[in-house]
Amino acid sequence: RDELIKGQGRGCLLKEIHLNVTDLGLGYQTKEELIFRYCSGPCYDSETNYDKILNNLTQNKKLDKESPSQTCCRPIAFDDDLSFLDDSLEYHTLKKHSAKKCACV
Amino acid sequence: WEGSWGLYFPQTTYSDCIYVGQAAGTPVLQVHAMQEKASEQPYFCLYWRQLQKTALYASWFHIDAVTGMIYMNKTLDWTDFESISSSRVPHATRLILKVAAAPISQKMLCSQSANVEVSLTFFNSTAPTCGQIKLDRLCFPDRDTNPHIKENRIPGPMRQLRRFTHADICPNYTISYRVESETPVPFVLNGTTSELVVTAPVDREEKEFYRLVLMCLIKTEDTMHTLVTPMHINIFDEDDSPPYVNGTDTEDVLIEFSRSKGAAFGNMFVYDRDTTSTYHKEQSQNKYVWTLLTNDSWINDTFTIQQNFSEEKPIFGNVRGTVYKYKLRLNKNISVDERRSFQLDFLVNDTTFRGPEGTVMLHFNVTILPVPITFSNITYFFVLSRKSMTYAQIGKVCVDNCLKFKGIEIAYHLELGDRNISANVQSCYTAVNVARNLEDMSGVLYVNDTEPLRRPECQELQFVLVAQEQHKELQAKTIVIIIFEGEAYPLSMEGQRSLACAEKRQRGECETFRGLGTPTGRCQWRQGTEKVISENYSTCSPDLRTCPDGYCDVIESKNISICPQDCTHEPIIGGHERGLMLGIKAGHGTCYCYSEKCFCEQDDMKEEICDDMCKTVIATA
Repeated sequence: RDELIKGQGRGCLLKEIHLNVTDLGLGYQTKEELIFRYCSGPCYDSETNYDKILNNLTQNKKLDKESPSQTCCRPIAFDDDLSFLDDSLEYHTLKKHSAKKCACV
Repeated sequence: WEGSWGLYFPQTTYSDCIYVGQAAGTPVLQVHAMQEKASEQPYFCLYWRQLQKTALYASWFHIDAVTGMIYMNKTLDWTDFESISSSRVPHATRLILKVAAAPISQKMLCSQSANVEVSLTFFNSTAPTCGQIKLDRLCFPDRDTNPHIKENRIPGPMRQLRRFTHADICPNYTISYRVESETPVPFVLNGTTSELVVTAPVDREEKEFYRLVLMCLIKTEDTMHTLVTPMHINIFDEDDSPPYVNGTDTEDVLIEFSRSKGAAFGNMFVYDRDTTSTYHKEQSQNKYVWTLLTNDSWINDTFTIQQNFSEEKPIFGNVRGTVYKYKLRLNKNISVDERRSFQLDFLVNDTTFRGPEGTVMLHFNVTILPVPITFSNITYFFVLSRKSMTYAQIGKVCVDNCLKFKGIEIAYHLELGDRNISANVQSCYTAVNVARNLEDMSGVLYVNDTEPLRRPECQELQFVLVAQEQHKELQAKTIVIIIFEGEAYPLSMEGQRSLACAEKRQRGECETFRGLGTPTGRCQWRQGTEKVISENYSTCSPDLRTCPDGYCDVIESKNISICPQDCTHEPIIGGHERGLMLGIKAGHGTCYCYSEKCFCEQDDMKEEICDDMCKTVIATA
C-alpha cells in the first residue's frame, strides 16, 4: 500500500482479530469482546548494513552466545483505551493494548 | 408581595378544543379560583400583557368576571383559522390565554395577580357530528391534569367537569356526573352546575391526597351509558404545625480525644409535621433557624450547631413530615489542656409558623476533659535480627490513646539514654529512627542505618523516646530498648545493585534475596492461589505484615524500592485492579516491579522448588 513509507517494511502489516476479553489472558472475568490489532510480517527489506553485519557475525559465531535482536515488526502507535465492565460490575481500562500503526524498528 | 391574597387556581393549566363554526356566546371552559377567606370573592380577567403582544385572537373570547366562564365573542369561521395558523401544523393550532384572578375589592389589580394558562386547540375543521364522536370524549378531557387544593382553606367549587364544546355536539343526550370513593371524602358534585365542590377544609397532616372515581352518565334515546375515570386530588401543605421534641431535650456531650475542627457531637431531633422542600433550598434552609443562647465568647467562637433535615413518613402516621437533626460542631481545635463543663442552650425557631410556640429550646450538657500526654507503658522492648536491612520496621510506639486522637498533633523523636558514653558507642545510635504514622498519632521505629548492626558494641541500644504535643508543647518520655540478636552479615555481602524484593518473580530467588526493609535479612514470598485477579496475588516482599497490604505506610514511602506494590504511582501492566491512590489493589498471577514500574502476569512456568543446592545457599548465606 502507498501509505507504507519506503523502507518501513512492506511485509509488516497491521492485522486484526476479534476476541473475547478473557482470551487476552489478563485474568479479567467478563463477557465483553474486542477487536485486537497486531503487527506481523517480515522486515527483510528494511535491513541496513548494521543488520547484515550482525547476521554475519552471528553465523560465523564471532559473537559468543549473544544474539542481538534484529529488525522486527512492532507497533509504533497504539489504539485508544478500551474500557469494559467485568462480571462483578467493576470497570477496567486497558491502555496500549492494541496496535494502531506498525513499522520495522 | 401580597399579590395573591390567598387566591389560587387548583389547576396549573386548563385545556380544551374549539372548532370552526363554534358560535358566539357559547361557553368554552370554566376556571375556578380557591379562596382563603370568604370575603375574597374572586374577580377574573383575561390577561395578555405577559405574552409578547396582545394576541390576534384576544377579541374572540371574553370571561365572566364572577363565574370564571370563558365564552366565544364571535362565531369562528375558516378565515379565522388562516389568520392565526402557522404553516407547520396545517390542521390545528394552539391558542394560549391567560386568566388572572384577584379579590373583587382589588379588581383593578387583577392582571398582576395569580394567573393560569388556558390552552385551546383550534382545529381547522367543524366539530365532529354526534355519530362520529366517541362517548368518553363527551365526558372527559383527552389528557387530564391532577388538581390540587391547599389545606385549611374555605370550601367551594374547584372544577367544572362539563366539556362545553363537546357536550353540545349531541343535544339529545343528557350528560350528568357523579363522584364516588371508597371512604367518605370532602368532595361532592353539584348536579346543577356539574362542578366538583370541596365541602370542608382539608388537613394535609391527616391525608395528603384523595382518590376519587368520576362517573359520567350519558342517557341516549334508548340506553344509559356509564363511563368512569379516576381523579387524584393533591393536598398542598402550609406551615401550620409547630416544632416539637420527642422525649428528651437535653443531650450529654463528652469531648475528649476527638477535638479537631469540624468534629460533631450529639444528636438531637426536632420534629415538624409540615413538609420542607429540598428544591427551594434557600427558602427551606432559612425556614428553621437556631440561636446559641450564651454570652460566653469562648463558647461562641468554639461551637456551632449543625442543622440537617430530612423527610420522613412512617413516624408521622404515613404522611410526610420533617425531621431536623442538630449536632454540636467544633469551629476550631480545642487544645489538650482545656477543661470545662457547661450547659449550652440553643433555640430552634420555625420562622414560618404563624401560631404561638413556634420555637423549642434544646440543651447540650458539654464536658470537655483534658487529654494527658503520657506513656503508661513504662519501657518499650524490641528484639530484632542483626541481619535486618535498612527500613525494616521494628515496632510501633504510641502515647496513651494516640490512636483515638483527632485534632491533637504528636511528634516523636529519639534521644540518647545515657549521655556519658563514648563517641564510638554514640555512633551506634544512628541505627534506629522513629517516624510519625501518616494516619494516626502513633510512631514507627525503623532501622535507619545497618552499619552499626555489625559492631558488637551496638547490640543493645537504649533510647529515650520523646513524644511532644505540638500546640502546647507538652512532653512525655519513655525508654526504648532495642536488642539486635543473632549473627550479622559479613561486609562482603553488601554491594548488591538493586535492593528491591519486588523484582523477584519466583519463590526461590525471592527467599534468598536481601531486600530493602527486610527485618530478617531475607525477602518473603506470598503465594497466591487464585487463577483470577485477586488481592492475594503472588509477590515478593520485605515483610508480609506490612507489604503488600494495600497501604503505602510512612516507612514504605521513604523509598520506592521497599514496597512498590503498595506505593507505585505508575500505570501497572497486566491484569490488575489499581489501589485507591497508589499501588496495586489486586493482581493477576504474580506481580513484580522494577523500580516504580509494576507488572502482573500469570506465570505458567513450574515453580522452582528449593532443592538441596538452593538450601545450601540459604544456609551458608
